Amino acid sequence: MNDPVAGIALAIVIVGLALSTFVTRTSFLLAGARFKLGHRVEVALRYAPVCTLAAIIVPDVLIHPPGHAIDWSLLNPRLIGALAAGLWLCWSRNILGCLAFGMAGYTLARLYL
Amino acid sequence: MTSSEPEATVTGALAAERRAAFRSGQRAIIPYLFGAAAWGTVSGIAMVKGGLAVPWALMMSLLVYAGSAQLAALPLIVAGAPLWVIVATGLITNLRFVIYSAALRPHFAHLPWRQRARLGFFMTDFTFTRFMRATQEGELPEHKDAWFAGVCANNWITWQVSACTGIIAASYIPTDWGLEFTGTLALIALVGPSLNAKPALAGAAAAAIVALIAHPLPFKLGLFCGALAGIIAATLVDAFQQGPTPAEAEGA
Repeated sequence: MNDPVAGIALAIVIVGLALSTFVTRTSFLLAGARFKLGHRVEVALRYAPVCTLAAIIVPDVLIHPPGHAIDWSLLNPRLIGALAAGLWLCWSRNILGCLAFGMAGYTLARLYL
Repeated sequence: MTSSEPEATVTGALAAERRAAFRSGQRAIIPYLFGAAAWGTVSGIAMVKGGLAVPWALMMSLLVYAGSAQLAALPLIVAGAPLWVIVATGLITNLRFVIYSAALRPHFAHLPWRQRARLGFFMTDFTFTRFMRATQEGELPEHKDAWFAGVCANNWITWQVSACTGIIAASYIPTDWGLEFTGTLALIALVGPSLNAKPALAGAAAAAIVALIAHPLPFKLGLFCGALAGIIAATLVDAFQQGPTPAEAEGA
């Protein structure tokens, strides 16, 4: 990586990746401003956060490390941590409590199960 | 600043309102920042342990600001893959941001393009979800762009500081504490309260099932497929519940 050519190549790669973030994040905010999306699409997009986060969280909890088989068992520390966090949220909206409770469940399960 | 002229007073009041909205946004994201910090630190550590020299890892964190795309691209960079392959990987891993961008568009369409570009660049899973929840719970002030900028500012600073800490201290921080799980828990805390109606529950279930099935797909495409499937399911249940088309229902 001390080779200046490799350095420039790496810098170009990083700028390319930065562009991939910028282009996707600003896509509709910039280009889409000209046309109006239908009402149905706008209703559908209201569900984007819930659905995307479910698609991030559930595999993250059940498949660890990534690429392994799905682990449904209650011996899965991440599942225990997530269930603990979920139970906490049913009872209180306090987020720090949720993080602490979830991490406690996860860590205890990891160390003792 | 003198406020002898009426116009200056109006401008001053507007600036004060925008500052208040910005600060309120900064406060709204604070509890979730623990998750962002954990995820940032873990990403930083992973970049260095994955074989990237410290200065490059710092540059990447500052410029790319997308943990999942950075980690997806890392093995390709280290292996010396062609530029277009790496950028394509970044684009596909970031596809969900296109959906986010479309969802934010109606809220910011009135702003000048520079401002839209800036808000878009600083949008992440955390800041987008926090904003959308605020729209649904009616807690947004009039200057929602300033509120969102406040959310984004705190999230950016937290993520960058923790990513840089992770990069610099990579060899001193143990990776087997499961710290990154805090990020997942913060996402659970963020999404949990929205699971209060049938369309959202159906969407989350469909998204989870499809994401699990499609998980072996490369570039985190499973995530994108799951999100799309979930949005379609939620919309169908929503339309079924509403009876008439949403446009008619809203017009009534």
